[in-house]
Amino acid sequence: MGHFDRTLAYISDLQQADTPDAIAEKLLGVTSAFGLTALMAGTVPQPGTPTGRQKDHVLLCDWPVEWLERYVARNYVDHDPIVSRMKQLQAPFQWRDASEIKVDHDGEVVMGDAGEFKLKDGLAFPLVTLDGQIVMVSLGGEQVEMSGLEFGMISLVSTYAIGRAMQLLTAEGRVIDHIELTPRERECLKWAAEGKSEWEISQILGISEHTSEKHLLNAKFKLGAVNRVQAVAEAIRRGYI
Amino acid sequence: MLYALTTEELMQRPDLWEAVHRLRHRIFVEEMGWRDIDRGDGLEIDQFDHEEAVHHVVIRNGEVAGYQRMLPTTRPHLLTEVLTDLFVDEPPSGENVWELTRYAVAPGFRDGRRGVSTVGTELIAGFVEWGLPRGVNQVIIEFEPMWVLRALQLHFLARPLGYQRTYGRQQVVATLLTFNERTLEVVRERRAHHAPVLSRGYPDIIGQRQAS
Repeated sequence: MGHFDRTLAYISDLQQADTPDAIAEKLLGVTSAFGLTALMAGTVPQPGTPTGRQKDHVLLCDWPVEWLERYVARNYVDHDPIVSRMKQLQAPFQWRDASEIKVDHDGEVVMGDAGEFKLKDGLAFPLVTLDGQIVMVSLGGEQVEMSGLEFGMISLVSTYAIGRAMQLLTAEGRVIDHIELTPRERECLKWAAEGKSEWEISQILGISEHTSEKHLLNAKFKLGAVNRVQAVAEAIRRGYI
Repeated sequence: MLYALTTEELMQRPDLWEAVHRLRHRIFVEEMGWRDIDRGDGLEIDQFDHEEAVHHVVIRNGEVAGYQRMLPTTRPHLLTEVLTDLFVDEPPSGENVWELTRYAVAPGFRDGRRGVSTVGTELIAGFVEWGLPRGVNQVIIEFEPMWVLRALQLHFLARPLGYQRTYGRQQVVATLLTFNERTLEVVRERRAHHAPVLSRGYPDIIGQRQAS
């Protein structure tokens, strides 16, 4: 599977997640390959929000618990250079670039403490919701390695994760029920239901193996299935094949 | 209200035609800084303003408050001709797929907020309302990745068509949005406005404020 097809598969997988924990787990499953092992996403509390209320703003969280407790208890959110950078910028950035700019003493304390919890570098970006709320997304880890392309891919996949989390939040997190399969996707699914492999399907339909693979992947994506078997089952259940 | 006009229909109303192309110039050349489409006459017009393009114009108080242009994917469009590095493999096309370009909200109608203005959501409600009875259920949009979140909040099914790229200061990702009646309901609920936004006919002469 190509790099982009993998991105699509991650996104499709995220759209299946039913709980914030499942979303966080799937997202970290993708990002941990690049050293990003911890995740925090939430809306921005106004400066001076009582510490007890800060947790209400959390959308997705898989962050070292002790670090989170210290962060809240010491009110680090008001001094965190990553947070202030997110308030200024629209685009994703890497933690190490944020700390290069200007970090006051309090900011250094926050970053130094984060390091103790194996959060040495990461990626962060703000998102703005429909009604103008800012969502901050931060992914971190001990040893972060990613190319420019991977950086873009991770921030995009994370955006879909937040979108999914917000859908769940609005209680009626139903995704679109109507699905349209192309005639080719339907044909490929039919043969897949007969137990044919991608190569066999390509021979039957006179297309390349890559193309038949592609049709099945698209069908899987549209049907919201996690694998081929579920895609076939779902297509039959819905009466598409 | 939102008016959906073909290029020919738009040209039959010179006042409206000019207001539309002036707004496009103001937003895309002046505000976004897309210098390569600057024609020097304060009107932004390109090769895709052809006879099959459909112009969605939101009128508020006798002024053009919002705009977007719909292009059929059955002939060359922005993604296939200009933004070719935004897709991987074959971009989707067909009678049911249109490309949404030049989405613009006039500066006076942005409600002074970070979120999406009421004119902005009227444009969204407008293309869904316009599309569904025509058998159009998918649009390709090249937008900032931020919009992915908003699209998901409105219950569009979203899928990227390629990697995000940086054009100037802007990040752009081509995305396919799929919608149905349920999407329209959610958009209307979020707007707290359930009446259709699409109007028939033409708006009044531009610049003549309605007495209110």
